[in-house]
Amino acid sequence: MADAHTQTAARDAHGHGDHGHDHVPPFFVRWFFSTNHKDIGTLYLIFAILAGIIGGAMSGLMRLELAEPGVTFLTQFTGGNVDAASNFYNVLITYHGLIMIFFMVMPAMIGGFGNWFVPIMIGAPDMAFPRMNNISFWLYGASGILILLSIFAPGYGSQIGFGGGWVLYPPLSSTTGSPGPAMDLLILSLHLAGASSILGAINFITTIFNMRAPGMTLHKMPLFAWAVLVTAFLLVLSLPVLAAAITMLLTDRNFGTSFFDAAGGGDPILYQHLFWFFGHPEVYILILPGFGIISHIVSTFSKKPIFGYLGMAYAMVAIGFVGFIVWAHHMYTVGLSVNMKAYFVAATMVIAVPTGIKIFSWIATMWGGSIDFKTPMLWAVGFIFLFTVGGVTGVVLANAGIDHYMHDTYYVVAHFHYVLSLGAVFAIFAGWYYWFGKMFGYQYREVLGVLHFWIMFVGVNLIFFPQHFLGLQGMPRRYIDYPEGFAFYNQISTYGYYIMAFGMLTFAIAMFDAFFVYRKKAAANPWGEGATTLEWTLPSPPPFHQFNELPRFDGKEAAAH
Amino acid sequence: MIRFWTATAAAFSGLMATSAIPQIAFAQTGGAENHADNGIAMLPANSALASDVHFFHNVILMPIITVISVFVLALLLWIVVRYNSKSNPTPSKFSHNTLIEIIWTGVPVLILLVIALFSFELLYNEDVTPDGKQVAFVGDGSTLEFSFANDFAAESRKVSRQEHIQVFVGRDGALQKLPKNAYRTSGFKSDVVTVTLERAPSNGETVIIRGGRTLVGQGENRQIAMAPTLTLKVNGYQWGWSYAYPDFGDFEFVSNMLPEAQTTAALYRLAVDNEVVVPVGETVRVTTTARDVIHSWALPNFAIKIDAVPGRINETWFSADREGVFYGQCSEICGIKHSFMPIAVRVVSRTEFESWVDQQRELAGMDPMFGSDDKIASLANAAGEK
Repeated sequence: MADAHTQTAARDAHGHGDHGHDHVPPFFVRWFFSTNHKDIGTLYLIFAILAGIIGGAMSGLMRLELAEPGVTFLTQFTGGNVDAASNFYNVLITYHGLIMIFFMVMPAMIGGFGNWFVPIMIGAPDMAFPRMNNISFWLYGASGILILLSIFAPGYGSQIGFGGGWVLYPPLSSTTGSPGPAMDLLILSLHLAGASSILGAINFITTIFNMRAPGMTLHKMPLFAWAVLVTAFLLVLSLPVLAAAITMLLTDRNFGTSFFDAAGGGDPILYQHLFWFFGHPEVYILILPGFGIISHIVSTFSKKPIFGYLGMAYAMVAIGFVGFIVWAHHMYTVGLSVNMKAYFVAATMVIAVPTGIKIFSWIATMWGGSIDFKTPMLWAVGFIFLFTVGGVTGVVLANAGIDHYMHDTYYVVAHFHYVLSLGAVFAIFAGWYYWFGKMFGYQYREVLGVLHFWIMFVGVNLIFFPQHFLGLQGMPRRYIDYPEGFAFYNQISTYGYYIMAFGMLTFAIAMFDAFFVYRKKAAANPWGEGATTLEWTLPSPPPFHQFNELPRFDGKEAAAH
Repeated sequence: MIRFWTATAAAFSGLMATSAIPQIAFAQTGGAENHADNGIAMLPANSALASDVHFFHNVILMPIITVISVFVLALLLWIVVRYNSKSNPTPSKFSHNTLIEIIWTGVPVLILLVIALFSFELLYNEDVTPDGKQVAFVGDGSTLEFSFANDFAAESRKVSRQEHIQVFVGRDGALQKLPKNAYRTSGFKSDVVTVTLERAPSNGETVIIRGGRTLVGQGENRQIAMAPTLTLKVNGYQWGWSYAYPDFGDFEFVSNMLPEAQTTAALYRLAVDNEVVVPVGETVRVTTTARDVIHSWALPNFAIKIDAVPGRINETWFSADREGVFYGQCSEICGIKHSFMPIAVRVVSRTEFESWVDQQRELAGMDPMFGSDDKIASLANAAGEK
C-alpha cells in the first residue's frame, strides 16, 4: 500500500526504501488513489490549469462583449435575445470570479505548490495525512463538477446559471432573485470546495507543526512554508464562516428560514457581514502563498539571503491577523454607522504597513545582489511592481469617503485585478517557471518563458490600467452595456485581452516545447548558489519518496536564510 | 471604426493636455459634460462635498500613491541596471539593517496618519446629514451684536468654534460673506452664541448668521452645510427606480431608462423618462430602500452612492452647486437588467422646483402647494416652446 509505505517513511527516519528503489504504483492507482504529496500537487496543478482555461475563456467572452457599447456579442449565443445575453453576461462574471478564486488560484498555490514543496522544504517525507490529502483533492473534483453543472441549471425565469456576482448576495441569490436550482448547486459546490480546503489546511498545519526536519525551528523554516502556514490558519478560521453563511442561504431557499429575508425578520446585510468575514481573509489566502514564492525567487536569483527574514515571516502573520478585522471595508455603502466605517477605514489602512515591509524587504534583498534575470525572476519583479500599484489603489479605496464614489466601479475591478490577476497569477507563473524543472524533470526553453512574460506584462496592464480611468469616470462594474463616454477605455482594455491571450498561447507553446520538443533534462539545481532550500538538494524530478534519511538542521544554519 | 479613431484622438489629446502637470490635471473637474466623456478624471463635482472628495483624491491621495509607485519602480529599475549579474558579479550577503527597517515601517505610518486626517473629516461630513441653520436680522445702522441659538439636538453637533459660524451681510440678492476678521464670536459654552460685527450693518441691510458643524467645500466655497429642506425617498426595484417626495404630499413616480431610439448617443443608457427634480443650493436628504433585491443609488457628480436594501432604510445627502442634469447608474448587481436602470437628477431653481412640485401634485390629484395654476400654465408653455 502506497499510503502505508508513506506513513511509515513519515514516522521512521530509517525508512526501508532508497532513491533507486521507489515503489511507484501503476498508473490508475498512482493518479486516482494517490496519497503522494507530489502527485497530488501535480493533480492540483492540472486542475488549476483546466479551471484557468475555463475562467480565462469566460473573461474573453466578457471583454469581447464590452469591446463597444451595445449588447452585440453575447446575443450571438442567445439567438439575439438581449435578456438571455444579459443573463449570460452576469453568469460569466459570477463564474469567472468563483472559478478563478476557488478553482484556479487556490488549487494552484496551496494545492499545487503547497503540496509539492512544503513537505520537501521542511524536510518531511510527505504530508501528515496522505489519505486526507487525497480526499481534499477529489472533493475539489466533485466541487468542480457541481459548479459546472450549476452553470447549466435553471436560475432566474427561463434563464440558466446564477448571475449575481461571486459574492452571492441575497436576495438576488435567494428565491427572490434566483429561484432555480443553479444557486443550490453552487452552494453545494462551495460547501465541497470549502470542506476540501479546510481538510487541506488542517493537513498543512499538522505537517508544518510536527514534521519539520530535526533542528528546523519555525524561525529557520523557509518563507514559502511560513506563507502556507499562515494561509492554512486563515482557511481554517474563515471557511467555516462562509459555510455557515451559504448554509443559511440554502435553508432560506429551501426550508423556509429567513435569516436573510427582511420580510421574515431577517437581514440581507447579515449575509454580507458573514460573507466578507470569510471574503477578506480569502483575498489574503490568494496572495500570501504568492508572497512566499516571490521571496524564494528573489533570494535565489539575487544570490543573497532574504532581507529581514523574521520581519518577512511576521509581516505575513500580521497581514493574516489584520485581514480578519477589516471585512466591512467591502460594505461602506450598505448603510453601516459612521463610527463603524471610521474603524474599518483605520484598520484597513494598517494593512499597508506590513505589506510595505514586504515590498521593501524584497527590494532590499535584491539590493547589492548579483541578479540573473531568468524567467522566474522577471515574473517576480513584475509581481513586485504590479502588486505595489494594486496595493496603493487599495489605500485609496480604504477611505470610505472616497469609496462612496469608487465602490462597485471599475476602479475596484482594476484594483483587485492588479493584486490578483497581476499579483497572484504572476506569482503562480513565477513559481511555475521556478519549480518547473524540479517538478517535471524538464527545463523549458528560456526564450519562450521570457517572451511569455513580456507579452503577458503588456497585455494585462493594457487590460487593467485603463479600468482605473473607467472607475474614476464612474463606470459601474458588472455592466453588459455602457454609455458612449466609457467606450474608449473599454476598447483599449479589450485589445489588452487579445495581447494577453496571445501571451497564454505562448505559454502553451512553451510547455508543449518543454515536454515534447526541447526535452532538456533539468539539473538538480539549475539556479546555482542562490537556491538554498531543500528541494534543490533532490534530483529533478525528486524521487517518489524523498528523505528516507531526514535532513538535519541541528546546529546548522537553516537553508532558508 | 471612425468613432473609435475619433475617440482615440480625443482621449489622446486629453491625455496629452492633462499629463504635463498631473495634480492639476486631476484637480480640474471638468469638461463641458457632467457625465463620462472617455476621460481619466473623476466626473465634475457639483457640490461642496463632492469638491472635498475631489480634493482628497486628486490633491492628497493621487500624488501620494503616484510618488510611491514611481519610487518603487525607480528602485526596481536601478536594481535592474546596477545589480544584474554582469554589473555586480559578487553579491553582498547582508540581510539586516535595523535603521532602514524602522524607516520603512515608520514612514508609511506617518503617511497613513496624514491620509486619515483628511479621510475621517470627509467621511463624517458625508455620513452625518448636516443640521446647519441660519437666522436673519435686519440692520438698523447701530446694532453690532446678534445672537444665534446654540440649540442643536446633540451635544456633539453644537457649534463650538468661530469656524462654525458664518455671517452674510448685504441687500436682498447681494449678500456678501464676511471675512473671518470682520466678526467675533463668544458664548459657545452657553445656549446662545453672540456674534459681534466689527462694523454695524446699515439700516435695512440683511444680516444672515449661519451656524453648524458640517463644514464642506474648498477655499472660497467653504461653507456650513444647512439642514435638509426636503427628503427624497428612493425605492429600487427590478429594474427601475421609484421616487417620492414626502414633504410635498408624498407624490410618487417611477423612473425608467429611455430606449436607445429616444435618446442621444451621449446619453445612451443614461437618460430616463422621469427625472428626479431638486432645487439648487438646498440640502436634499436621500433615503433609500428596495422592494426585491439590493440596488444602489449612485450619483458620481455628487460623490454619493448608497445601497437600497430591502427591509432597511439608508440615508445620505447632497446639495447641488449648479443647475443641470446629472446621471448615475445602479451600482449593485441586481439581475438581468442591472445595466439598464440609470438615475437622472435635474437640478433647477427654487421657482422651477416649486412649479414642478405643483405639477406633480396635480398629477396625483392634489391641490397646488406653492403657486397658482397660471404659474404652472406659463411654465408648461415655456417648456413647450423649448
